[in-house]
Amino acid sequence: MSNFIVRKVAVLGAGVMGAQIAAHCANANVPVVLFDLPAKEGDPNGVVRKALDGLKKLEPTPFAAKDRVNYIDAANYDSGLEQLRGCDLIIEAIAEKMEWKHDLYKKVAPFVAEHAIFASNTSGLSINALSEALPAALRGRFCGIHFFNPPRYMQLVEVIPCKASAAPMLDALETFLTTTLGKGVVRALDTPNFVANRVGVFSMLAVMHHTARLGLGFDLVDALTGPAIGRPKSATYRTADVVGLDTMAHVIGTMQATLPEDPWHTYYAAPAWLTLLIGKGALGQKTRAGIYRKEGKAIHVVDLATQGYRPSAGEVDAEVAAILKIRNPAEKFDKLRAHASPQAQFLWAIFRDIFHYCAFHLDAIAGNARDVDFAMRWGFGWKEGPFETWQAAGWQAIANAVKADIEAGRAMSAAPLPAWVFDGRKGVHGATGSYSASAKSDRPRTTLPVYARQIFPERVLGEAEERGTTVFESEGVRLWHTADDKDVAILSFKSKMNTLGPEVVEGIIEAVARAEREHKGLVIWQMKPPFSVGANLAALAPAIQARDFAALDKAVARFQQMTQALKYAQVPVIAAVNGMALGGGCEIAMHASRAVAALESYFGLVEAGVGLIPAGGGCKEFAVRASDAATRIAGGDVFLLLQPLFQTIAMATTSRSALEARELGFLRESDPVVFNPHEVLHVARQTARALAEAGWRPKLPPRAIKVAGRNGIATLEMMLVNMREGGMISAHDYRVAKGAAAALCGGDVETGTLVNEDWLLAVERHEFVELAKTEKTQQRIAHMLETGKPLRN
Amino acid sequence: MTKQIQDAYIVAATRTPVGKVRGALRNVRPDDMLAHVIRNVMARAPGLDPQLIGDVVVGCAMPEAEQGMNVARIGLLLAGLPQSVPGMTINRFCSSGVQAVALAADRIRLGEADVMIAAGTETMSMMPTMMGNKISLNPAVFEHDENVGIAYGMGLTAEKVAAQWQVSREDQDAFAVASHRKACAAIAAGKFQAEISPYTVRDHVPDFRSGAVKVVERVMENDEGPRPDSSMEGLAKLRPVFAAKGSVTAGNASQMSDGAGAVLLVSEKILKQFNLKPIARFRGFAVAGVPPEIMGIGPIEAIPRVLKQAGVKQDEVDWIELNEAFAAQALAVMRTLELDPQKVNPLGGAIALGHPLGATGAIRTATVMAAMQRGEAKYGMVTMCIGTGMGAAGLFERV
Repeated sequence: MSNFIVRKVAVLGAGVMGAQIAAHCANANVPVVLFDLPAKEGDPNGVVRKALDGLKKLEPTPFAAKDRVNYIDAANYDSGLEQLRGCDLIIEAIAEKMEWKHDLYKKVAPFVAEHAIFASNTSGLSINALSEALPAALRGRFCGIHFFNPPRYMQLVEVIPCKASAAPMLDALETFLTTTLGKGVVRALDTPNFVANRVGVFSMLAVMHHTARLGLGFDLVDALTGPAIGRPKSATYRTADVVGLDTMAHVIGTMQATLPEDPWHTYYAAPAWLTLLIGKGALGQKTRAGIYRKEGKAIHVVDLATQGYRPSAGEVDAEVAAILKIRNPAEKFDKLRAHASPQAQFLWAIFRDIFHYCAFHLDAIAGNARDVDFAMRWGFGWKEGPFETWQAAGWQAIANAVKADIEAGRAMSAAPLPAWVFDGRKGVHGATGSYSASAKSDRPRTTLPVYARQIFPERVLGEAEERGTTVFESEGVRLWHTADDKDVAILSFKSKMNTLGPEVVEGIIEAVARAEREHKGLVIWQMKPPFSVGANLAALAPAIQARDFAALDKAVARFQQMTQALKYAQVPVIAAVNGMALGGGCEIAMHASRAVAALESYFGLVEAGVGLIPAGGGCKEFAVRASDAATRIAGGDVFLLLQPLFQTIAMATTSRSALEARELGFLRESDPVVFNPHEVLHVARQTARALAEAGWRPKLPPRAIKVAGRNGIATLEMMLVNMREGGMISAHDYRVAKGAAAALCGGDVETGTLVNEDWLLAVERHEFVELAKTEKTQQRIAHMLETGKPLRN
Repeated sequence: MTKQIQDAYIVAATRTPVGKVRGALRNVRPDDMLAHVIRNVMARAPGLDPQLIGDVVVGCAMPEAEQGMNVARIGLLLAGLPQSVPGMTINRFCSSGVQAVALAADRIRLGEADVMIAAGTETMSMMPTMMGNKISLNPAVFEHDENVGIAYGMGLTAEKVAAQWQVSREDQDAFAVASHRKACAAIAAGKFQAEISPYTVRDHVPDFRSGAVKVVERVMENDEGPRPDSSMEGLAKLRPVFAAKGSVTAGNASQMSDGAGAVLLVSEKILKQFNLKPIARFRGFAVAGVPPEIMGIGPIEAIPRVLKQAGVKQDEVDWIELNEAFAAQALAVMRTLELDPQKVNPLGGAIALGHPLGATGAIRTATVMAAMQRGEAKYGMVTMCIGTGMGAAGLFERV
């Protein structure tokens, strides 16, 4: 199975998970056949078609581009099974009922191709038990493949082998999931709820237990268990509402039924209030009421004492909030433990019990501690996994504190911590790998070849961080390379959110010059997203405040020189984008020889939000691209091509994926989209190398750019007049958009005039500076700098 | 009209059923629809020698792309009229169809022709933008405030009319519901049957299994737009399209549509020569300009003007086809001129029946002629507002 090609995927079950998994395969250019039961009346594939219609409306959208839905074929189990023969991977995602799954397996097995992998997306049923319904010949190609909701956005996929699963098959599947679908794979053991849900659901149960014990409100607990402790905004109870309270109860029920020997078994029960809510039909988000309920604009929350809803508040004690902000984890945990307030005690208790639980169960539920930590990061959105938190806070100190609480009867279970916790270790993650309690040794990372594509893989706390060798470093940037590839230099920004101030702009210009002298190519890549949120407004503000518009003009001109330097560099320059590439960040990507973008990259020329227009060559580049495209179409009307680009700039539209960035015109067809963000640097470097090997020469500057000119501006203004008169945009929005129209159309010249890039750059710079002179734009900039939010004025 | 030397008589008028945009007629070309109505209008005057046709005048609001190349000439040749028959395409936006009737009538009234065909054709499925394929506005429009209204979309002008004439959202929605109700009742009663020439749509579609091209045939007999389930509650849910706090919605505006209509006009000499029975005498036509930003009020100027020209009192007109570009402007016109709601669009209007821009005038002329043939009208009128600020009205008298 060394060259496992997935030409087509089948997904069995068009429920919430199945349909979204199908959508994500389609995102990745993998065609899908999506199956469900035949409809009782009408179109036999009606159930699936309805599910696909639902997908189109789902938010956040499972589709990375609008056309993706066309690559999912609808089928049913009665008349469509022949289509299974053409599928290389079959993912079963029907309801969590062992007997239903067994029945389906028996039905489909005769249609599964001899080489195909068959995998179940069960969230907790035994993979070995599931495999029993399959013919022996298929069991070697069977395993669990557990996606998290929403599968496009959640990084984790647990791959769970059954006893018969063939190792090469598992490797092939992991490779496909990692590169093609861009997921983070954790190999899990066949234990109930596997890794992430086992720990995650226990964590929720522990939170529920301590909420009740300390008499705290759900809203307060959510304030405590969200971003304040590195967990998602939805925290605990809002997450339960999103998951569905009935689903939660079902998962808890599975643990209760399947883990009778577990020392925490008594806690595997739905609390009375949860059962009560489910009884009332308040199942969470899907029924518009659960633990929370929206009443008008206000959010109300269930009050445990009265069982009724009250307005949601939930304020963290100032002292506790101050403790949570302490950077030193050891000090933070010391202070939490020592603080008498119920909030502090609550936080210590939930951490203590999760540490206790994870250490106790490590040998049974996961191959090593790294898998647990990644499972919680990728499956539950925790900033760090439980073992990382523990290790960072001082392994022995925390271990002793947990032990003391167990012995004093304060912990949820009296089960002692395993002996390995006290073997003198400083943690579970170290230079030799992460601890495996079952193997009683450290386990290094997997050597599966796919991971060679991750030059800087996600690391757990305590793992060594590579920084490469620095070639050149300034206040704004660092130019460097890795030990194994000195040919392609890597440029990273040093500013907050990788904004583009003068020091970064100068750094880029210097880096291009150095790359031209000493390297075969240049990759612009950041160790952490975003790629760049654009120009540093704070650096521009003083010139605007001082009304020194000559200085502003000079700064903008310098920025334009930078993007032109990227475009016309004598070595290939690759923008390796992951996350946001806004404003100037987007312009850098547009001017690079190629952009290599992670799927979850969000591009936008968003300057209108601060009353400005793109002037780092963004308008110019759109005008050039429209002119280029117009020469290739009959009629050659550049205006038709400019109109959608104008709307994108005027509305400050941001793409919701890299594929959408292509539709919006930020990315070119030749710019690769990479599904795994950790592979972006690898692909960017390979792209730079390939372009260099192909004898890279930058394009020659176009000398005959056809512009839409004054008729084009007037026609765009017609659109704006309607929006202003209809009260949809303000007078200043109109003014800003008119500036964009002028820049895109090449200024007040005759339609069809041929200009060069310098002309277009001068027009967009002029419009930018003119806008900066207006009071309303200045108010917008000031507001953004003060609040971080755009002002509508 | 004192200068005319003879009357122009309408002896036949017919139309296609009107299709919803991207609906049943989406693949039917405008020249094919035109040929269809020309053939059918000629069939309604058996024995008339087509060589005598002086000209074919065809209204079309977007005479470009599929509708370009002088669609009139192409349509008449496709209809099988002799090559000696000329044709011209004319454009006054939404009034093009009735303008074609007026121009055709005038040729007869001047004595320079004895047989004329007036028609209109428009496919908004193929020409979906109201501004044509290549949109380009003159920058000079923005140099004087009084011209900025030229840049207004039609919906925005309706909002301006609604505000200025104080037409509420509820009134607009109620007007729309009534339009659908009247149209559905008319269809049920078969009132459009006489004027409609059913259209056989032949779609050429690939059969991916066999690899062959299939021709799928379907006969379209009725207008596609009317909705029996239109209700105040349903319409109330629609959001204003053209203004953030506006009242004009997709539900109380005319539908975008595909369709064609044709009218056959002759002189008295021809009536006698071929023993044809006239339906109506053409009594006059007027057009007037109004501010572009409130273009919907155009008929307020045009209707009195044509009545004055013809010496007919408003009360005498018992059938008025007032194009429902928007409920807001239709109501503003009706209230200002105190038109009798019973006489306006008795079979529903463009909100239900659709509005294939340049074809509408010819189509609604066919509706008025059918009403006259049923004996339901002595004087009939076709009137509408026109983009960039005009109004038009044509007047007919049953004979």
